[in-house]
Amino acid sequence: MLYDIMELEEIKKNAKFLINYLPGMEIPGIVKFRCRYKHMVAFAKCFGISDPKYIGPEESGIIACPAFANVFSAKLYINMATISFEQNGKKRGFLLDFSKLLHAANEYDWDGCVKIRPGDFLTIRGKIGKIWVNEKMRLFGEIFQTARNQRGELVCKVKSVATIAPGGY
Amino acid sequence: MVKIKDLKIGKVIRDEFDQITRDLIRNYSKLGGFAKLASNFIHDDDDRAQKAGYKGVIAHGLFSYGFITKIFDDFIEQEKYGKIIKIGVEMRHPVRAGDTLITEAILKEINGKRLYFEIKQKTETKIHIEKEGKIIKRFEAGQRDYISEKDYARGYIKTKEIDEGTLYFRKRINSPGYAIIELFE
Repeated sequence: MLYDIMELEEIKKNAKFLINYLPGMEIPGIVKFRCRYKHMVAFAKCFGISDPKYIGPEESGIIACPAFANVFSAKLYINMATISFEQNGKKRGFLLDFSKLLHAANEYDWDGCVKIRPGDFLTIRGKIGKIWVNEKMRLFGEIFQTARNQRGELVCKVKSVATIAPGGY
Repeated sequence: MVKIKDLKIGKVIRDEFDQITRDLIRNYSKLGGFAKLASNFIHDDDDRAQKAGYKGVIAHGLFSYGFITKIFDDFIEQEKYGKIIKIGVEMRHPVRAGDTLITEAILKEINGKRLYFEIKQKTETKIHIEKEGKIIKRFEAGQRDYISEKDYARGYIKTKEIDEGTLYFRKRINSPGYAIIELFE
């Protein structure tokens, strides 16, 4: 074994398959997420945020701190774990080893977006973009998400890149 | 007060955070909903993280990203003087408990009301303290062997004199990136 759990040939075969199979795929399921006051405040405090705009009393009408996008954008990654397909006649899951999965890049785009307020009910949809491997056979994949509130207004567009070490895909 | 007319290319905004603990990483994980991710143990359990090849727990990539959004939000005083349009970063190296997180952004371009920043988020990781050629204190990075030969080869290992002796530490960019901020005036 060249890698800890998988032969290099098998890794290459899986990478080739995923590079062709995954791009453009809608991530299964739509994430529905209720934004709660206490959660928004506690999350902001993780980063030492003390401004009342984000952690003030509920009746003051707080909004979510920008980093709150971390919370709802992560929900769809759980759904990604449910992706399964047939490869060479055998059914398999997309991720073979979760410990090999890491976040490699992240971009939040708030242009034209509205703020998130307690009680908002978000709907998050996602799609897989380009897939590639580097010289060490580490797999990278783009994930595009859009999050909208209950009125259909955009609250954030997310582009992230996930990476899976050899043996994990 | 932040206004376009008062800004110059090269302006630096900066924040330093030295309170990263396992408890904070765990709390972030819980509040962020990451505890439900099957990969979460690498952020929560040293033994399992070690078996997975990480030598110990690492913080979630989005955890350090949160500090990047914060410096820009602080810069515009929580949207009093502008709004954050876009922030993008790569997560090149993991951040760990005990690291000092230094988030810096340099103003590279002004176009109309939009400011374009380059981001360099760095970690400072204490390795050990030496006195008269002997290691007198070893930090987690030294104990758990977080430092690699590549770190030395790339010049990431630095020293500085402190009261107890010579502190060896690693300083490297963990997240480079960019941000676009729009000011109101």
